Amino acid sequence: MGGELLSVALSVLSAVANVALVLLVAPLLQGVQRRITARVQSRQGPPLLQPYYDLLKLLGKEDLESGEAPAVQRFAAYLSLATVLATACLVPLGFPAPLSAVGDAILLLYLLLLSGVCTLLAGAAAGSTYSWVGVSREMMSMMTLEPILAVALGVGALHARSFRLGEVLDGSPWSAAVPLSGLVMLVVMLLGFQAYAGRVPFDAAEAETEIMDGPLSEYSGQKLALFRLAQMCKLVVYAGLFVALFVPWGADLPFPLAFLAFWAKALVLVVAVALIAATHARYRVDQAIRRYSVLLAFSLVAIVLAAFGR
Amino acid sequence: MLKTLCRKMMGKSCWVYHANSGGCNGCDIEVLNVLTPYYDAERFGVKLVASPRHADAMLCQGPALHSTAQALRRAYEAMPAPKVVIAVGSCATGGGPWFDGYAVMGGVDKVVPVDYWVPGCPPRPEAILHGVAVALGILGKAVAPRAPLTQPSFPFPRYQPCPEQGGQTVPPGAPSTPNPK
Amino acid sequence: MALTSKLKEAWIGIAAGKVTLPYPLAPHPPAAGFRGRPIFDASKCIGCGGCASNCPAREILIFDPCQELRVIHYLGRRCTSCGRCAEVCPEKAITMSEAFELATNSIADLEQRLTLFMGSCQRCGRCFPAPTPLDALKLTGYRIDDVEAGRWVFRSRPSAPGETTHDVDIEL
Repeated sequence: MGGELLSVALSVLSAVANVALVLLVAPLLQGVQRRITARVQSRQGPPLLQPYYDLLKLLGKEDLESGEAPAVQRFAAYLSLATVLATACLVPLGFPAPLSAVGDAILLLYLLLLSGVCTLLAGAAAGSTYSWVGVSREMMSMMTLEPILAVALGVGALHARSFRLGEVLDGSPWSAAVPLSGLVMLVVMLLGFQAYAGRVPFDAAEAETEIMDGPLSEYSGQKLALFRLAQMCKLVVYAGLFVALFVPWGADLPFPLAFLAFWAKALVLVVAVALIAATHARYRVDQAIRRYSVLLAFSLVAIVLAAFGR
Repeated sequence: MLKTLCRKMMGKSCWVYHANSGGCNGCDIEVLNVLTPYYDAERFGVKLVASPRHADAMLCQGPALHSTAQALRRAYEAMPAPKVVIAVGSCATGGGPWFDGYAVMGGVDKVVPVDYWVPGCPPRPEAILHGVAVALGILGKAVAPRAPLTQPSFPFPRYQPCPEQGGQTVPPGAPSTPNPK
Repeated sequence: MALTSKLKEAWIGIAAGKVTLPYPLAPHPPAAGFRGRPIFDASKCIGCGGCASNCPAREILIFDPCQELRVIHYLGRRCTSCGRCAEVCPEKAITMSEAFELATNSIADLEQRLTLFMGSCQRCGRCFPAPTPLDALKLTGYRIDDVEAGRWVFRSRPSAPGETTHDVDIEL
């Protein structure tokens, strides 16, 4: 009885530590991205801690409750950060995920889907023309991107023969003898990672210059800070997912080395996202979806291969 | 304590909304120049945002026209407090050379309360960057009121004609000779 | 392929270093011939009013408080630094400086006000009146400037005492 309580307390504490780690590190990674974008553009760029300053400043601003349904807007803001942080508790970030015994891969998929739905809720609750345009673009992108994510987790689950997170998120696509499906999914996820991160060239849903920040155009002050923080943490979570599924080598090392190995791999991904974002122009939403459809076709090939044990 | 920290952060991260209410776009181009690598405003944390609800500072260009005054006012009211309005260019400062036109209400301060003025036509990107730095408190102002400039102080002794030199006093009211120039 | 060309693009940007000018932490003087704020020199000004007539933005106001005094008031608000005042000044009392850092939170920082002594006749002490009405108009144009209120009052002087003028007050 005492041991059970202790283990529950320990897992709660480690979940809190996980969440705190993601919350603290995510803005720093965005600062690194902005610096790299600036260097590619041959300029100095903001200080590395700039996203922290931005978030703190947003917390001090007045919160104008504008939009058609302010209660739903509030709900969407809280829910977006909550789902991303819940996902962070399920993904190993250099050490075993604290709550991986609580859920399985299906829960992970649904939580990731829910964080996408929060953007839709936010835009729909705002009710302005620009936010509706953003909502429709985001919906179209989600309809093709979420199946790819499901296939990535499904390939891992098929090879690991279970949905348990501890087994799926441990390089499971590579556990077949001839990991063809793993290779296909690696390429697909690499090419699609930019879309999950929501950066140029695939950020038509939240296109800043075209539709005035899309679904977020009616947000201000603290709720905008919540959304921006959720976006930053989403990048960390997706990077963690990618590394856990496809590049897990180094997770077996003792604690400090495994932690450093994970964050080094995540940093490489983050830098790659920044470099691609700095050298590309934004795709129109139909061009982007054409690309996602190609990726979806290949991912269906991968799941068929995985079903046959390859 | 958190409030003071947040207030201090306003100087380090200023998100700018760019509102042109009827100008010639000269100042727009100079403002966009400030965001290019040469003059890089992003090193001060200044970012261009697309929605006034996200912005801290509004850079106004162009005079306030009768047709766009309402839109400008609504953009100002859409910004959450605390906010700063910077009027860029001579048109925003007082209407520019078009101040007496039929479509022009005058400077932007007829519609929104202006905190900082950056005159020029168009102001150099350095001048706009200096204006943003003054507004953020990084630099002090570089202009100060000049003391009124006067020529010799009064009372000036009036010349008294000297009868010994053949001068004649002309009674007031008499017609004087026209200026030979 | 596309990837290598993008990598090359990124490399070109990074290899160029930091082209950011250190302004505003270090001064960056403008190119030669740059027209900034005009500077009025009261010791050279003869009060002809040519600058006021020529200013396209009507930024220079002239008012005669009394016979011997002329106040020339330059409001800095709408000045576009065109340089026409400096070009037309017969005494070269106006110079276009290179000052461009004019950001201020109080518009009074940009004003320049000159109070000039207008020479009067050394015999009778009065100013020379303009011989014809056209010459009177040519002195300061069609207007009487209200320097205290900063108003350009577009009102011609009555040609004969007792006649009314067409008052068109244009506020600045």
